[in-house]
This record gives sequence, C-alpha cells and structure tokens, in this order.
Amino acid sequence: MDQPVLRGEGSVGAAGHADPVAAPTPASIAPARRTPWWAWALSPIALLPLIFIVLIALVLLFSGDLKLLFEPGFWSFNFYFNPLAPSQAVWAFPLYLVGTALTAGIALALATALSLALAISTTVYLPAWLGRSLGTLTNLLAGIPSVVYGIWGYVVLAPYFGLTLQPALRSYLGWIPFFGGPLSETASGTGVLLASLILTIMVVPLTTAIIRDSLVSVPHPLLEASFALGATRWETTRRVRLRVARSGVRGAVFLGFGRAIGESVAVAMVIGGQTQIPPSIYSGTSTVSAFLLYQQDSAFIYPALLHALVEFAVVLLLITLVFNYLAQRASGERGAVGPTSAAGI
Amino acid sequence: MSANANVPNDDLTRSAPRGPRSRTMGVTAAVALAVVLLVVGLGAGYVLGDYVLGNKGSNSTTSGNGPSYTISESGSSLIYPLMLSLGPNFTKLYPNVVISPQSTGSGTGISLAESGKVDIGGTDAYLSPANATQYGLINVPIAISAQLIFYNIPGYSGHLNLNGTVLAKIYSGAITNWNDPEIAAANPGVNLPNLAIVPLHRQDGSGDTFMFTSLCYMSYSGWPYGYGTSVTWLKSSPSATGNAGMVTTLSTTKGGIAYIGISYLSEATAAGLSYAAVGDQAAISDGTNPANYILPTPQTISQDATLGLANLQPPSVAVSLILGGVPGATDLKLGGGGTLPSTADPTPYPIVNLEYTLIKISPSDATLQKWVVAFLEWALSFGNSATYMTPVHFLPLTPAVIGYDMQALQAVTVSS
Repeated sequence: MDQPVLRGEGSVGAAGHADPVAAPTPASIAPARRTPWWAWALSPIALLPLIFIVLIALVLLFSGDLKLLFEPGFWSFNFYFNPLAPSQAVWAFPLYLVGTALTAGIALALATALSLALAISTTVYLPAWLGRSLGTLTNLLAGIPSVVYGIWGYVVLAPYFGLTLQPALRSYLGWIPFFGGPLSETASGTGVLLASLILTIMVVPLTTAIIRDSLVSVPHPLLEASFALGATRWETTRRVRLRVARSGVRGAVFLGFGRAIGESVAVAMVIGGQTQIPPSIYSGTSTVSAFLLYQQDSAFIYPALLHALVEFAVVLLLITLVFNYLAQRASGERGAVGPTSAAGI
Repeated sequence: MSANANVPNDDLTRSAPRGPRSRTMGVTAAVALAVVLLVVGLGAGYVLGDYVLGNKGSNSTTSGNGPSYTISESGSSLIYPLMLSLGPNFTKLYPNVVISPQSTGSGTGISLAESGKVDIGGTDAYLSPANATQYGLINVPIAISAQLIFYNIPGYSGHLNLNGTVLAKIYSGAITNWNDPEIAAANPGVNLPNLAIVPLHRQDGSGDTFMFTSLCYMSYSGWPYGYGTSVTWLKSSPSATGNAGMVTTLSTTKGGIAYIGISYLSEATAAGLSYAAVGDQAAISDGTNPANYILPTPQTISQDATLGLANLQPPSVAVSLILGGVPGATDLKLGGGGTLPSTADPTPYPIVNLEYTLIKISPSDATLQKWVVAFLEWALSFGNSATYMTPVHFLPLTPAVIGYDMQALQAVTVSS
C-alpha cells in the first residue's frame, strides 16, 4: 500500500503529535503527490447524487409549473377535490403539514430522550464490550426498510392499540390535553399515536448512532480534567461530555426530524387517512408523504391531482433540505463531530 | 477543516490503534465496492428495464423454434390474479408467447398503456372515449365484477335494504344514525339500533371508489363530491387501505359501513360482516318496496351487465353498469337514467362493472400485437369460463360484451 496522504482533515496517524491545535498541514508532513488517475475518473460519480437532486428539482419545477403554490386554495385547511370540477379543487396543504409536523414532532421528542439515554448508558456506564455491541446493534436497526415497521405496526400493534391500549390510556391519562379526546370510531388503532410511535422506533437507531459518535469523540483530556477536579461520572457526563457534544445532539435531532417528515410508507399504513386536524392522539389524520403515496395512482388519471402532488413534493423536498442543512450547520459549530460522520449512516 | 479539535490524539481513544493504513484500505475498498455496485446496478437496471418496458425489439428473440414473444401487462390489482392464471395456460398452447403481468394500480395501467410502455393496460374503470381516441387505445372488457355494501351492526346479521340515495346521504352526512326513518322505511320488521353510522372510505385511489361514488352521484342530486378514483370525503369518515384493509377496519368498527369488491366476499363473511341488498332503479323513486332491493348473485350481476349494454347507441362498453347503466350515453348523467328491469332480466344488481384491458389500435410492433390480439381472443373465448373466473371472484362476460370485444379487436392493426 501507498503511504497515506494526509489530507486537510488533519487526522493524525502515528501517535506522538501531542498538540492537536497545531496539527501539521499536509504539505509539511507528506510530500505533494500526484493525484492518481482513477481518483479523477471516479470523482464525477461522487457528484452524481448532487446532479440527481438538481435534476429532480428542475423536473419538478418545470412539470408542475408551481403556480398552485401561489393560490389561496393550496394553503386552505379544507380539502376539496371533485374529479368532475377540478378547477374548484382546494388542496389544503397545511392540513397535511400539520399531520406531518405532529407525528414527526412527537416522534422526535420521544426519540431524543430515548437516544440520549441509550447513548449515555452505552458509552459511559456499560462495560466497553457491551456498549460497543449495543452500538453496533442500533446501527443495524437503522438499516431495516421502513415498510417492515409499517407492516409490523399495522398487523401486530394496531389491533392491540385500538382495543386495549388506547381505551386504557384515555381512562388513566384523560386529564392530559389530547389524551382525553374521542377514541377513533373504528377501534382499528391507527392514528397519530401509533404513527408517532412507529416513527420513533424508526428514528431512534439513527439519532442514537449520531449521539453516540459525538459522545465518544469528546476529547479525553477534558474528561480526565473533570475527574481530576472531583466531579462524579454523572457530573462529568452532564457538564462536560454533553456540553461538548451538544452540537452533535442538535444535529441528530434535525437529521432525525428530516427523516421523520419524509417517511411515507410506514406512516401511511398506520396514520388512519382522515383529512382533519386530529382532535386527540387517537384520531386519524394524514401526512404530506402519505397523501403523495396513496394518490399517485389516481394522479395518472386526473392531471389536476398530479399537479397538486408535484407541488406537495416540491414543498416537502424544500422542508427536508432545510432540516438537513440545519443538521449540517449544527454539527459544523465548534468543530464538533456531526451526523455526517455517524457510523453506518 | 474544522475537525482538528476532536482528533483522537491519545492512547485512551478507542480508535487510536486503527492506523491510517487500514483507513486508506477501507476507503479504497468502499470505492471499489461502490463501483462494483454501480456497474451491477446499471447492468441489472438495463436488463430489467428492457424486460419490463419490453417490445422495443428485444422481446421477440429468436430461439430454436422460431421467434418468441413477451407480452407485458400492467395495472389493476384485481385483474392481476386473472392474468396470472390465464397467462401460463396460454403459454401451454403457444410456448413461444409469455404473458408478464404486474399489479400496479388502474391509474398506472392506463398511463403505461397510453405511453405504449406496456402491451396491455389493466383497469377497473373504463378509459374515457375522448382519451381512448387521443391515445389510439381501445377498451376491451375481459370480466365482470361487482361491489358489495358491507356493514357492522352488532346483533344484526341479515341483509339490510339500502339504496343509492340512502348510501349517498350516509356518505355526505345527511343520515348519521342506523335508526334513521329513511333506512327503517325500506326495512320493515327490522329493529335497527340507535347507533351512529361510521362511513369508511378507501385511503388509496381505487376503482372501487369510482364505482361507489358513481352510484352516489347518480342516485342523489345533493351528492357534493362528484365521482372518480379519488374524491373528497366527510372529515368524520375514517379510511382504510385496499379491500383487505376495508374488511379489517370494518370488522372493528361498530356501526361502520363500507364498499368492498365482491372479490373479498369470503374474507368479509369470515370476519362476521353482512352485506346489503341494494335498491335498483325503481328503489330511487319507491324506496319502501322490498321487491326493489336485490342481492348480489351471479344471476343478478349478469342481468345488470346484459341490461346495461342492451340499449347503448352507438354500441360501447365504456360505461359504468351502475343502476343498470345509462342508455345512449357513454358517461354518467346526474340523477340516473338507467335501464329499468325487463321481463328477461327482472332483477339486476345495481353496482356492477367491467374489468378492462387497454390495447393500442395501431401498435408500433404489429407482429407482437398479433399475439396480443390472439391472447385476448383466447381469453374471451376459452378463458371466459367459471374455471378461470370463479377462483378470482369474477363472472364470465355476457355474450353482448364478447360480441363487442371481438368486433373491436378486428380493428387492431396486426401483421400476418
């Protein structure tokens, strides 16, 4: 093998470079090398995803005209589509956005708490071998296709939710807002609660992996210093580890949210599909991506519906990009380790 | 780069022992893997695309016994099982022809047939005559299907009498309770409970939604949502996905009502659900006469198909066989019309549709189209029997429809 070419990331191979701030520049440590031909040849491949995203955006822009976005009907809260009078259609985008934000928001709140607990216990408290194995396991879970979660939620969880859990929750926790509202008439278990939980289970591996990575990469001298000052393990974790790693945690939350709002299949199967603002966590609603998924077949028949779907997709794409950008920015702060370096993602 | 501050730089760090050498190897391996995957993916995509999108020369390959052909079909999930059973039996007779069906949904089937990407498009709803002309396609019905109205009323397992007007009022929120006088009037002697009606609808776009909303649209002038494969619904109307989802959801919904394809009759009955006798054309004006309510049976469904097509001028199959059809029209008209029961066909079940295949009238590959036409002619004659239709819960076509089909197929350009 060649000698490694040390690039600007400043990764230090051999031990003994004690001062990380004054990390040697590549030029000073390794002689300038010619870039091998295959690196040039392969670099366009690395750009393919970017090119695809730009192409998708352009196609969406020009095929849909995007004129609906500027019509009041698009931003109404009352969905109306009559195939016989497509010009009167009212698309009620915010209605679907509420469903998306609600399910993703609940999921992220739960997932963040769970992931923090998991990441802290596996990096700080559990023996290293166990922590590492559990870490690998969460990474594996991140690779399960979402439709598997959807089917599992619909077939296994939904009947239990509808017939047992939701009535119980309502009678014991009914005093909390949204827990006391009406139960779904269908008793099928589908709705905001189940969709949020399925999303939580989907997002937890992702957020845990990122948070774990940022916790692990907190420089040890800082931790040693904290111990030297007499801090306990919990105090060190809370005041040093989490403080240094907080941008990584923030990045994990944004990235998890970006994934949760874009998820279609698993959510669509358990969301209940009613076009309403849910009066309680037991009620059915719909999300932007569930609407996209279930109306695509009809969209081939009704051009007006196809236009609406394209514009839903454009706005969803923009929102996802914003959250991914926020995730990048959060992880860029203070040079912390961020989501992009998370193992296996 | 900004990562300097966190670079592992002491022996305590777990990753320290991993040297730069292994890292470079890892990157090289990852790049190599990516390239391999890309090549494999592109290759597989090319082969698959060629196979699926077919008929651009590559699906008539020459083997030892002469050229062989692959006919691609895509569309309705109801037609898919029929194609799966018809295809191999046709291949037994003509080993050089393979039928390759896909279950993608009616809308996708129509779209692919219009763009010529499949040889046969399958759909539950007919292609409108205007679009058929524009894209050079013909509607070729291959089977008869029907829709049932199921409900979940605890303690009642008989057949309720319901007509289109009452159903439309339930789904538009004008009737909200099972003890409504209008329902009671059509069901003398039935003690209906004081129970809220929960109307279920399909979350996904569906030919069943098309049929059901057509019935509502034709039966009740106050129906506000038009008809189609996707429409607006009451906010209080819960949804389910697919016919199977409708059965599952209705079985847990007390007071629920749902429209479900006859293909799911056995599943729904096993789930403890009962279905309605649906009012025919006469029930719209005289809803209280129990004689105007008809249960779905092979006989009553066939009667509806015969009646619905009997008086169409010009002859056409692009019509919903709802309420016995609309004479002289190729589209639905507000308030019905329909064909009243005749002496030959006294009891037509009113929610019936044809299952359609769409083919190009002037195909790009006339040699392949010869086999497409041959396959459909075989399906309409030998395939049009209970042997093939009963397992997939369809009914064989009536002679009138077959006559129409055979005539329509004559117009297709084929090469000999």
